[in-house]
Amino acid sequence: MNPIHPTPRSEYLHGIKMVAPSMIATGAWGMVTGVAMLKSALTLTQALGMTAFVYAGSAQLAVVPLIAASAPIWVILLSATVINLRFVIYAAALAPHFRGVSTLKKLGLGYLSGDISFVIFMQRVHAEPERAYAQQFLLGCTSVSWLVWQLGSLVGIILASQIPDRWGLDFAGTLALLALVIPIIRDRAAAAGVAVTAVVAIIGAQWPLRLGVIAAAAAGIATSMLVESYVRHAARKVTP
Amino acid sequence: MSPLKIWITIAGMTAITVLTRSGFLLLPERFSLPPIISRALRYAPACALVAIIVPDVMSGQIPGAGFLHNARLLGALAGAATFYRTRSMLATIAVGMLALTLARFALG
Repeated sequence: MNPIHPTPRSEYLHGIKMVAPSMIATGAWGMVTGVAMLKSALTLTQALGMTAFVYAGSAQLAVVPLIAASAPIWVILLSATVINLRFVIYAAALAPHFRGVSTLKKLGLGYLSGDISFVIFMQRVHAEPERAYAQQFLLGCTSVSWLVWQLGSLVGIILASQIPDRWGLDFAGTLALLALVIPIIRDRAAAAGVAVTAVVAIIGAQWPLRLGVIAAAAAGIATSMLVESYVRHAARKVTP
Repeated sequence: MSPLKIWITIAGMTAITVLTRSGFLLLPERFSLPPIISRALRYAPACALVAIIVPDVMSGQIPGAGFLHNARLLGALAGAATFYRTRSMLATIAVGMLALTLARFALG
């Protein structure tokens, strides 16, 4: 892989090198998020604030239609939480590699670790579990991702103020979410859950307070878990 | 939404990013997730995203018109088909936006 003797600097640079190929997509995604935020719900300052602080593209894209529809804050925050729950799984996988690191560094590294950095970091620790300076490697991934994402969002926010609303560019955000969700529907249980979610979401589209979103996600998660249990029990019966 | 509510939402979402990404790292090091929770967590993001995407796509439906008389639905279908072929977010956005524009033009 990386033949030289690892130093903090070499690992930081290696992280940058490994994350670089994904940065066109990250920049474009940031741009789409910037456009979607400004086009449907937020003022310039609010969009800049959301980009700078929230730093979670899928959650940002997802709450935009909810803010535009004036959903209650708790519904918006609950939706953002459910979308971000995947990060809890990521953090559980990262935790063994950050034993003995200071609390402040854990907070910072965790906050900066989005989907792409996580995937690349896990590839490294699987390929070379004993290699030193894993945190520096992760910092290399996350610092570049952060920068490219922020720049992309900034470009999107500025562009959006120049583009007429009737172009329907906010829809690019929905398409980005679509590209994000398809690869995580990996098995039958996930597919069944998503199908139930879609049906409940259509039925509940006009429910007050946008509660249809919460109900649809809850019904889908329950369905996925039931199907998974069923598949596991069926498998046990066939192969004793 | 009022500006105050939007800023409260932004502050709340920032807290959610920190809690979901870093919260687990700050727990005692021997702690692990109960199996039922980690199972639910595995399926939650896909369901939540679909719960947001579907109403947004269906908002393009014109009342009384046919199911496919919906430019956003046609754009989303074209985008999904593109993603299955290319696995590229950029191509998905490009083809989806093109299909949306053409469908709007065709449907009037």
